[in-house]
Formats: sequence, structure tokens, C-alpha cells
Amino acid sequence: MDRTQNPIVNILLRFGFLVVFAGFFILFAAWNPVFLQGGNLLNIVEGASVLMILALGMTLIVATGGIDLSVGIALDFGAAFAVVAMKSYGLDWFGAACAGLIGGSLVGIFNAILVVGLRISPFLATLSTFFIGSSVQRIFTNGGGPISHRRMPEEFRNLALGDIFGVPTEAVIAFVLVVIYFLILERSIWGRRIHAMGMQRSASIVAGIRVNRILILCFVGASVTCAVAGLIAAANIRMFTPLSGFSYLLDAIAAVFIGAALHPRGRPNVPGTVAGVLFLGMVANGLNLMGLNFNTKDALQGIILLSALALAVAQQRARNR
Amino acid sequence: MSDLSAFSLQGITKEFPGVRALEDASLKVRPGEVHGLVGENGAGKSTVIKVLAGIYRPEAGNITIGTQTLSPATPESVHAAGVRFIHQELHLVPHFTITESVFLGQERVGRFGLDTAGMRADAEAFLRDMLGVTLPGNRLIRDLGTAERKLVQIARALIDGAAKVVVFDEPTAPLASDEVDTVMRAIRRLKEQGIAILYVSHYLSEITDICDRVTVFRQGKTVGVFDDITDASGSDLVYAMVGRDIADMFPKKGTRQTGTGFAIDGLSDGKTFEGISISVGKGEILGIAGLIGSGREELIDTIYGLTKAGSGSFTFEGQPLQIKSAAQAVRAGIVLVPRDRRHDGLVLPMTVAENTTLATLERNATFGLENRRAVSNSTEAQIKALDIRPPNPNAVTRLLSGGNQQKVVLARWMAKSARVFIFDEPTVGVDVGAKAEIYQLIEDLAAGGACVIVSSSDPVELQGVCDRIAVMMRGAIIAELPTEGLSVDTLVAATTGAVDARELADAS
Repeated sequence: MDRTQNPIVNILLRFGFLVVFAGFFILFAAWNPVFLQGGNLLNIVEGASVLMILALGMTLIVATGGIDLSVGIALDFGAAFAVVAMKSYGLDWFGAACAGLIGGSLVGIFNAILVVGLRISPFLATLSTFFIGSSVQRIFTNGGGPISHRRMPEEFRNLALGDIFGVPTEAVIAFVLVVIYFLILERSIWGRRIHAMGMQRSASIVAGIRVNRILILCFVGASVTCAVAGLIAAANIRMFTPLSGFSYLLDAIAAVFIGAALHPRGRPNVPGTVAGVLFLGMVANGLNLMGLNFNTKDALQGIILLSALALAVAQQRARNR
Repeated sequence: MSDLSAFSLQGITKEFPGVRALEDASLKVRPGEVHGLVGENGAGKSTVIKVLAGIYRPEAGNITIGTQTLSPATPESVHAAGVRFIHQELHLVPHFTITESVFLGQERVGRFGLDTAGMRADAEAFLRDMLGVTLPGNRLIRDLGTAERKLVQIARALIDGAAKVVVFDEPTAPLASDEVDTVMRAIRRLKEQGIAILYVSHYLSEITDICDRVTVFRQGKTVGVFDDITDASGSDLVYAMVGRDIADMFPKKGTRQTGTGFAIDGLSDGKTFEGISISVGKGEILGIAGLIGSGREELIDTIYGLTKAGSGSFTFEGQPLQIKSAAQAVRAGIVLVPRDRRHDGLVLPMTVAENTTLATLERNATFGLENRRAVSNSTEAQIKALDIRPPNPNAVTRLLSGGNQQKVVLARWMAKSARVFIFDEPTVGVDVGAKAEIYQLIEDLAAGGACVIVSSSDPVELQGVCDRIAVMMRGAIIAELPTEGLSVDTLVAATTGAVDARELADAS
């Protein structure tokens, strides 16, 4: 009942995360004018595309009440299948892209078998998938050497390096996926079912929702999405680098939970995830431009993340009071 | 009578923005008595408890504890004056032992660190002497029954020996009926120690059983203080609570259309029940009676596809039905209002609108995208039709009262226009006023031609609502009794096996 009277505290509580976001934006801009240049801002968005796509897949799984530790594996499989399809089987860019998506879907199918068929908790199931998938890549590449494909078709390369009306293709792909995910998860009846089962499985079953079917579709959908990120990653460097997806895992989880903390009811949600990804991208880029010691960067990033999350949670409490 | 009181609240008025929760309410409890506090949801019971606890500061009124007037009352001063609260929720750590739980936050330190042996002895002694149960102090909370956990919670509040007044807020809500006795015995023992007890409960049978005096609240006012409570006081209390008679709680059974409806043939789950065959006609309300362990709950779960049936078949209007999952049941037009609505009935973190439309999502969508206006319109219509309070489609269901939560579950299925409605314990944890409304809704469903099954452990409810009652015992249906002319006593006797129900069925 007793609202804090201090107007500054009130503003902070109401727009907490936005204020932090803006604060860092101004700080980085003031520190190094390069930060504000159009090229750099585009850099942030472009650099965040792969993470954005992965985080979308993660958002979907977290919304079902689980977590997916194997998003990186799906990314790797997407890249590997596409590169091998072009290099060894001579498929054109479209065939290769399809091969990549199919490769990624294998990861989701395997997850779905473990979670729905064997009733293993998503955390443990996807952890196993992560271990197995990592090992498969090492065996396949004789210990983790990259598979490069210098004469990659131009169209495939353009997935990462091209642009559509001046906007980098990968950013466009990420944007389209964001819109699709937003419509599905936040505006469609399937999204409502996904959120319902994520929050209370038993009640959703009683309400006649086919939770197993939804779970299977979500796991497969998420892994196919991650495979898209794999296609972009492969196109970017014209090669498949085994185990490269792992580096995105923790950031993707962080982005999803930043997003959930921003939601008034604490739900994982697409706009929140987008904000989380952009925030992480901005902080990484800004700290880079500050020219900080490489070793202190992670710690700073962690501290920034913590304070932003603490604010977001305080904000949520204030709203629910 | 002496004017002595353990505590008294006088002329309490408490306002919240837009509502006057308490208006000149008073409550006076004498030393050494068990004093009941009853009223419908929203009558001001929990507000008055929070005023006593010093959590809410009233706009007007006096709070006196013993001889001392507290102004203002704060949680600390109330605690210091010897008032203890036993909340509805247990708040116990499952992996702690009994001793650790009792002394949590008030650990005793001996010369060599924690005085574990002393604390254990005291905890065991307290449970034995004050509450009448013998429990080893090193047992883990998670291995205890709900009633025993409740006693541990009580011990934790009272172990310092300074308690003069203990407030019990719905102490028996999560308990099975045989566990209730354990808690009741403990409360009687506390009373014998001269501790004044305020007992807040929805269960009137418990109130008349244990209380010496009862205060009734209605709409934030004290509407009656009953000095002389006997087992027969129940209907007087209801009258005071809702302002009408207990017989009026049940709707008049109207004439209804008839016709073959839903039938179950030879259903077994291979464990708890076997060879169950029942049928419900259109426009009929079939009750299912049975004690815990009779297989009643398992039967409901199996009919609804929540657990696998071993054998048996379902038909509707003579046509065979496949029910292997809840989703299939819902598509076949069979819906369940589950006994555990907070767990199975509602997605608690979701809003009223999200919950009421969860089973009819397609209707309010084009190409899978939700039409938010249609959702909010249909929810508002349902809220109006069922008088759900607060009338806000965006209210989170977790915060609604039991009765209103149940109405939200019902609203979802009404929107679905199902053919078979199964109610499992439809009014558990629901206040008297909402109970009457739910009974009326059940009757309306039957009048509209639906097949209705009501499974309940409350014989009064079954007798009042149903047309026919199937009595289950040890996994079989031992009799089907028409309710016309059936007394509640006979029904209880049949359910408990005190009389042979088969003879009853033949006689009627």
C-alpha cells in the first residue's frame, strides 16, 4: 500500500530496465563516439543475429516449462549438414539450407524422444543431447578440425554477407524469425497453450491440451530455428567449426531470463528476449570499445547483468503490489 | 458472566481504496475458550485477523490483549503480548527434522554450539504433552502426514511457552477427515492449558464440534455472537452467515428431459476398482459416494483419461467413445471440474480471461491468431453469467477466493458446451454463498440436458444435489440409491458400510 514517495525511485522502478539500458547507451556513447556511429550500431544488431535466433528457440522451450541446453548442438548440426551437403554432394544453396534444417531437426527429435517418450526432465535430456552431440561432432571431424568450403555458392554466402535494401541479410532473417515467434508465442492460440502447459502442466492436461504433441513440436521447432543460426554462422566464415554453438548457450539462457524478468508476470516472452539479446550485445560491444582488459570484461558484464536483473525484479514486485 | 477477555477488538473499521472491509466490527475471546469465527469469503475474517496481528492498521477501534490496550498494534507488540498465529500454509522445510523445524529461527545454544539434544527433548515433550502425539524429533518433515506437519507448525509457534492466545486460520483445510481428529485433539489440549483459541474455518461441522462460542461476520460487520454452541447450531450459523436457510442452499430439482446419455461398462483400472458399470441419462445428476480408498477418485481419473483403464468401454447415446486421454475426453464433450482446482483446475499464474478461454481457443481466433477483443468479450459475458468476483478479466486467478476459482473452472467448460460434466468435490474450500451458486449451476446444466456426475465426500451435498447416488466401496459399486426419500444418515450408513446398501436399494 505504502508507495515510495521518492519520485526518482518511482521512475527507476517503473522503467527500471529501460533506464539502465539508456544509461549504458549514454555512457558508452560518451566514452567512445565510435559507439554511436551508424556502422557500429548496425554491427551490434548484425553481431547479435545468431544469438537472437538461438535465444528465440530457447524462449520457446523455456515457455514450455523446460530448458534446452542443446541449442548449440542444433546450430552445429545445421552448419555441418549444410556445408557437407555443398562440399561433398554438390547441392545448391537451397538444397544445402534444407539439409541444414533437417540436420538441426534431428537434435530436436532426439530431445523430444527423451523428454516425451522416456519422460526425462528437459534439463537432463538436453544435457545428454549436448554431450552426445558434441562427441558426434568430434568423431565426425576426427577431433574437431573445421570443415571449410572455400567455393561456397554465392547465394549461400549471402545468407550472412549479403544485404536486402542495405540491411544485412542475417539481421533480416533474425527479424523475420522474431516476428514469427512473436505471433506464435504471444498472439496465437498455440502460444497460449504453450504458456499454459509451461506454467501448470497438470491443469493444462485437464483442460484438454495435448501437451505431448506440443512438447514434440516445440523441441523440433526450436532446433530447426537454431539450425537457421547454424546456416548463417557457416555462411559467415565459409566453414563448419565443430562445437562453435556452445559459446552462445549461456548468453541465450541469460537473454531469455532477462526477458522473463522484464515481463510483468515473469513469463518468458519474445519482446523480452529481444531486449535481453540487444542489451547483451550492446554491453559487449560497448565494453570492447572502452578498450578494457579482456580479462575483466566478463566480470563487468556479469555485474551489469546482475544489477539490471535486480532492478527488473524490484520493478516486477512494485508492479504487483 | 465475567467481562474478562483474552483479547478483544472493538469498533474496528478498516477501509481499503473503494471497499470498507470492516465496519464497526468487534470480536471478543475469553480466556480458555475455543472461539469460532465464521463468515463467507469477503466477510472480513482475514482482515480482522490481520488487524489483530498488527499487519493492518484500522481507521477506528480498540485492540486489547489481556489487560493491555495496544495503540497502535504492531506485529512485534502483538507477539510480545502472547498472541500466536497458525497460518493456513505450513511453511515448513521438507528436509528439516521435526526438531529443526520447531526451533527454526529460535535455536538454543548450549556450551558447545547448538543444544541439539536439549532442543530435541523439548520438541518431543511439547508435542507429547501439549499436543498429544508421540513423534521422534529426528524424523524429517517430508516423511510426516499433513496433520503431523500441522502439529509441528503449532509447536513451532508455541514452544517458547509465552502464548496466551492462538489464532488458527483454516487449520484443517488440507487435511483428510481422519487427520482432522488429530488436530482437533491437539486444540482441545491447548484449551485445557488455559490458552484462548480463535478458530477460523469454513467447515461448520468442525466449528460446532470444537467451539464454545462463535462470532459470525457478514459484510464486514459482526452479525451475531453465539454463546451456546451445540451440534445443532449449524443451520443457525449458516442463516447468520448468508442471511438465509440451509435448505435453500440446494436448488429445486426441476423436471428435466430424459434420454440415454453417457454410460460406462465394465470399467477397471486393474488396481483400485473393478467392473464399474454406471450410466447417466441426459438431464440427470448422478452422485458418486464413497470413502477415501473406495476407488472413487481413481474412477473419476480413469473416466477422464487421466489414468489408463485396464478394460471397459464408454458410450454416449449408444455410440462407442474412445477415451484414452483427457484431450480425447474433452473432444468427446466430456469435461472435468477436478477436486484439486489449484493444481489441476486452473493455471494459477494466468488471468481469468486466459483460464476461461483455455479450452475454446479456436473459437476466438482467425488462422490461429487470437482475437483479443473476442476473448475479452466472451470472458466478460462469462464473468457476468457466473458472477465471478472481482469482475476483472485480467485478474490473476491465484488471487481469487476458492469459490470464484471454481467458477472460473466452470466458466471454461460452460463455454465449451460439453455434453457430460464431471464434478469432483465441487465445493471443497468454497464458502457457503458460492456453494449455493455452484449447486444452482449444476442444476442448470442438468436442466439444459447435460449428463452430470458429482463425486463427493459430503453426503449432505450429494443428497441435496443429485437424483441418484452410486455408492462405492472397496473398488466396486455396491448400490445405486435414488435420493428421493433418502436421508443423509442412511447415505452415510451405506457409504461407511454400517448397513448393507444392497438391502437399501432393494427396499426403495
